[in-house]
Amino acid sequence: MEGTFQFFDHTADMGVRVRAGTMPELFVTAVEGLYKAVGEIAAGRRLEPFALEITGDSSAVILRDALNEILFFLENRRRKVVGWSRVEFSPGGLEAHGSAAIVDDAKSMYDREVKAVTYHELGVRPVDGGFEATFILDI
Amino acid sequence: MAENYTGPLERIDAVRWRIPKSYKEGMRVDGMIYADDVLVDAIKQDKSPEQVANVACLPGIVRYSLAMPDIHWGYGFCIGGVAATDPEQGGVISPGGVGYDINCGVRLIRTHLMYKDARDDMGRLVDELFNTVPCGVGKGGVVKFSKPELKKLMTDGSTFVVKRGFGWESDVEATEARGCMDGADADFVSDRALERGRDQCGTLGSGNHFLEVQVVEKIDDRQAASVMGLAEGQLTVMIHSGSRGLGYQVCEDALHELQHTPRKYGIELPDPQLVCAPIHSVEGQKYLKAMRAAANFAWCNRQIMTHLAREAFSNVFGLPPERLGMNLIYDVAHNIAKMEPYDVDGRSCNLCVHRKGATRAFPPGHPELPDRYRNIGQPVLVPGDMGRASYVLVGREGSMEHTFGSSCHGAGRRMSRGAAIRASKGRSIKRELAERGVVARSRGRTGLEEEQPDAYKDVNQVVDVLHAAAISQKVARLRPVGVIKG
Repeated sequence: MEGTFQFFDHTADMGVRVRAGTMPELFVTAVEGLYKAVGEIAAGRRLEPFALEITGDSSAVILRDALNEILFFLENRRRKVVGWSRVEFSPGGLEAHGSAAIVDDAKSMYDREVKAVTYHELGVRPVDGGFEATFILDI
Repeated sequence: MAENYTGPLERIDAVRWRIPKSYKEGMRVDGMIYADDVLVDAIKQDKSPEQVANVACLPGIVRYSLAMPDIHWGYGFCIGGVAATDPEQGGVISPGGVGYDINCGVRLIRTHLMYKDARDDMGRLVDELFNTVPCGVGKGGVVKFSKPELKKLMTDGSTFVVKRGFGWESDVEATEARGCMDGADADFVSDRALERGRDQCGTLGSGNHFLEVQVVEKIDDRQAASVMGLAEGQLTVMIHSGSRGLGYQVCEDALHELQHTPRKYGIELPDPQLVCAPIHSVEGQKYLKAMRAAANFAWCNRQIMTHLAREAFSNVFGLPPERLGMNLIYDVAHNIAKMEPYDVDGRSCNLCVHRKGATRAFPPGHPELPDRYRNIGQPVLVPGDMGRASYVLVGREGSMEHTFGSSCHGAGRRMSRGAAIRASKGRSIKRELAERGVVARSRGRTGLEEEQPDAYKDVNQVVDVLHAAAISQKVARLRPVGVIKG
């Protein structure tokens, strides 16, 4: 199953539903969804290594915590992850390696600021051909 | 995604509806929603009444789980929710009862300018404000604070930035809690939160945050308006923002740390988003101290933007802000938890009042009010939407009797962001606003669409409910004429 994401309605915030064949693909697609919620984020060409290691009690919480790390990296370090070399998702955690680039604000077109990926409506479940995740972004 | 509420809502009178505690196992008190017949139909369209019932299950909750007429679906607590818990009865503090944006709030600044005299300058003024007050994704502030400075700022509140030249001493007097919550301890704020806040103090953000130039359209209470220095036709400035990334991170840290706390204290919750800790516990105190520090950051944030707005006005009208009469009328928090004294069944209690999307509304005579408002009650600032109106109210005696000194915080959303964008297809919201006489500037691509007037309930209906319930009283209606959004 190819990874896909779509937004769903929430009164004041924004819901994201993600589907993918594997848990690593689910994570990578969720990151794409998160970036899309912020807008069209342009990044420079110079790449630097990026690594992320998250532990947690459940797949859903691991995914949420990992996405919040990506959000922090974007908001405060002004870096966007532009490629993944290795993503491993186990029941106890996530380890991801990739490359990141500096965000080019002049070329970016933003839609909204995301405060956090919340526990609200948070879930990861197996579906036909893979996995589905839902989460709400606090706007 | 949201389902309709199908549980009980018993009419008490024209503006109050009860969810009986028999509705759900674990409810310790009734739920109470303030709404008229029209608003209540909209309220039933999402899960927010269910959230009111869930909050009624919190240990130590007193009297009612309350919701204001601008209620809508939120995180754990509904937006528009008020809950008071008694620490001596095992009462808890819940970060979900404050929200991610700790001390999100509103302030109103008056001017001596009359709209009729300044109408032709409105485009230039809004451009100047847009270029002076940082807003939108990734926009840092005009001042960056070192870690020790940030900690001092979070301890001292508004006074810290006023002493650095960002405002006037009278601003502090006109801020809820004088812009500083006692008991803040910045040592309980994580390094990550400090990093997120380092260059964001004095920035508007995005989403529903805004800076508006408004004209006083109608005065309902001449005496109170006169005390506030408000007159019809006068220009005012309203700023709506909060604690930015620092506050979001304080909330995030607390939610993470409190995940297993309910189990530790034997607290059963109907919804894990209501994670909480007894107020007297180590965990509860830790969150309260960090939350107060974030609240103080938020007051500094709005204070610095006040200074920047004054500069922008000064640049456009060629007069110093003092000559323009740009005094702060008041600043109120609407996402906060505070310890406040109340009489409950003849007993004096110090309760932890959670206000999540609700504004403090103390009546005349309350000892916490600044001297100048002692006789009229606390100003309550209620932003509506960027096309119709916002309101200035004052607190009334009914608020102490029925709502733990609380009133509404806004119009309340009725449309999701997605629905608002879909409803904007083929339209130019900017042009529509211009046709209504509102000059709007937005940094984000979808800000105006998501925040368009139709996305919100009619604020007139919301404030009418609380006026009828003697919770707060209308003083003045303000109409937007200039808007900047992130």
